[in-house]
Amino acid sequence: MFLVVLLVSVLDSGSSASLSSIATIAYSETSSDSSWDKFLGALLNSLAFVAVVTVVTFVLVLLFYFRCTKFLKIYMGFSSFVVLGFMGGEIALFLIERFSVPIDCITFSVLLFNFAVVGVLAVFMSKMAIFVTQGYLVLIGMLVAYWFTLLPEWTTWVLLVALALYDLAAVLLPVGPLRLLVELAISRDEDIPALVYEARPVTHHDSGSGQNTIQTRVWRERRNVRQDLEDNSNSNGNVVSDSNSTVDTVQSGHNDTRIARVEEGQISERDGELSAPLLDHRVNGQDGESFLLESIGLGSSGAIKLGLGDFIFYSVLVGRAAMYDFMTVYACYLAIVAGLGVTLMLLALYQKALPALPVSIALGVLFYFLTRFLLEVFIVECSLNLVMF
Amino acid sequence: MTVAAGIGYALLALGPSLSLFVSVISKKPFLILTVLSSTLVWLISLIILSGIWRGFLPLKSTTWWPFAILIFSSVAFQEGLRLLFWKVYKRLEDILDAFADRVSKPRLYLTDKMQIALAGGLGHGVAHAVFFCLSLLTPAFGPATYFVDSCSQMPFFLVSALIALAFVTVHTFSMVIAFNGYAEGNKVDQVFVPSVHLAAGMMTLINFASGGCIIGIPLLFLMAVLTLMYCGRMVRRRLTENQRQGDS
Repeated sequence: MFLVVLLVSVLDSGSSASLSSIATIAYSETSSDSSWDKFLGALLNSLAFVAVVTVVTFVLVLLFYFRCTKFLKIYMGFSSFVVLGFMGGEIALFLIERFSVPIDCITFSVLLFNFAVVGVLAVFMSKMAIFVTQGYLVLIGMLVAYWFTLLPEWTTWVLLVALALYDLAAVLLPVGPLRLLVELAISRDEDIPALVYEARPVTHHDSGSGQNTIQTRVWRERRNVRQDLEDNSNSNGNVVSDSNSTVDTVQSGHNDTRIARVEEGQISERDGELSAPLLDHRVNGQDGESFLLESIGLGSSGAIKLGLGDFIFYSVLVGRAAMYDFMTVYACYLAIVAGLGVTLMLLALYQKALPALPVSIALGVLFYFLTRFLLEVFIVECSLNLVMF
Repeated sequence: MTVAAGIGYALLALGPSLSLFVSVISKKPFLILTVLSSTLVWLISLIILSGIWRGFLPLKSTTWWPFAILIFSSVAFQEGLRLLFWKVYKRLEDILDAFADRVSKPRLYLTDKMQIALAGGLGHGVAHAVFFCLSLLTPAFGPATYFVDSCSQMPFFLVSALIALAFVTVHTFSMVIAFNGYAEGNKVDQVFVPSVHLAAGMMTLINFASGGCIIGIPLLFLMAVLTLMYCGRMVRRRLTENQRQGDS
């Protein structure tokens, strides 16, 4: 999130180059429209986007059902290569332009190619140093998030809310695609290939990891699934819009990339010793109070795992907030972290698959608007007169 | 202001809290959670206050008494929230103690409780520094700097960083004093904290007079040092009492 903010503030060219994609298929916002028009337009955009996301998610469930995992994985690797290559390249070009870095074409292309290949290997195969993998995951998330922030403002906000609602529906409703996917995976006792970010634990239990893996896997998968499917949907969504896109080849790149990102390498093997669940289910058992004790440090601290899609949307939110002012950034940061904490607590309480997006996004959007309209005036007023409390 | 200066100001305001964080708080995840939640609580209180006061802003900057009312109401509100924070903490402590008894682990020590209070106070202080100082600092990187009329000797950012430093200290340690006061039922402690907060807030009003910040800021630091000393004395007293209890 921090990196996205940095990127946004550095590249804040304020360019009005409208990004034609599925998200703006229904309506291209121009600054001269009235607020109500903008709102309607944004709503249409988001509805279209969510519709496409839903369809794609169902397609993914079908594919998984027919056990086409090999195909998915190869596609994923290819797509992440394209993401790192093309999107990364675009952003690198922006940066080079901004900072006037002297670099020639050939060096640049060679560097970019190497970078992309290493990235694919890092996320795809699990034998690399954890830092490299984490770094690449962060980078991928950052790139995608940055591209999202290029959408017009109203669309971004309504889209975030719509996706949060969709996430809620898809995971909790019995007919929701994500829930179907989770159930399929559990019934087959397979691992859903997923793109997951793991934070390194301070200490972790080697002894308990054996019996943990089963619970770990189930718990983890639930989290993963949602993210992946969302990302998947996003990428697929963009495919449709290509016909009228200005940035054509890159666009199609984006699309594939995102699909790939979703189904990523098998994490489970690696997880054996590298990870333990965030909530040590072994000790946790029944009461939620143990969670507190875990956190105090009387229990163990395991690796924290979070799906990449979550990070992307949080970053989009924060990136958008950065386009306005830094106070909103801090407020949204806090709100998202708080939402995450609440989600984790709910997870401990309910012990089933939960969507991570809605709480955080709801809090984040709420805090953004509150800060923007209420807090900023207050604080600036007080500070300029050096009146503080 | 330049990036170097900006980082300097940020460290000026947040340096001690950063070192506190790294040395004491980062070892225990629960304390990190406490810091985050208290930061959030402070932010929410700020938002509510700004919501209430939005209708009256922007105030005329020449008269100082509306600001006095502003400060008074804000401090009162935040002290009320501190009491609420204490109640929640009490309930949490009961749950934790009960659980510790159940798994026959030791209960929370006095130092643990003080650390939790410290983490809470740090959260408040960091929230203050971030929202009053950092959020105006970070967008202002660039070639020039900004001076306020009433305090023209130093750039505005330096002044706000200094004030933020004082307030961080006040917030951090007054939380420890307050929790201790509520735990022991010590009236002096309980009254000490709001009055220090109010006094510190009122002192920033001195900054209104031109050249006032020369007097205002040192006085503010005086309050911070006072809080520190009071807290230190109280902690030492309680620890020795506890020691004596444990020995006997």
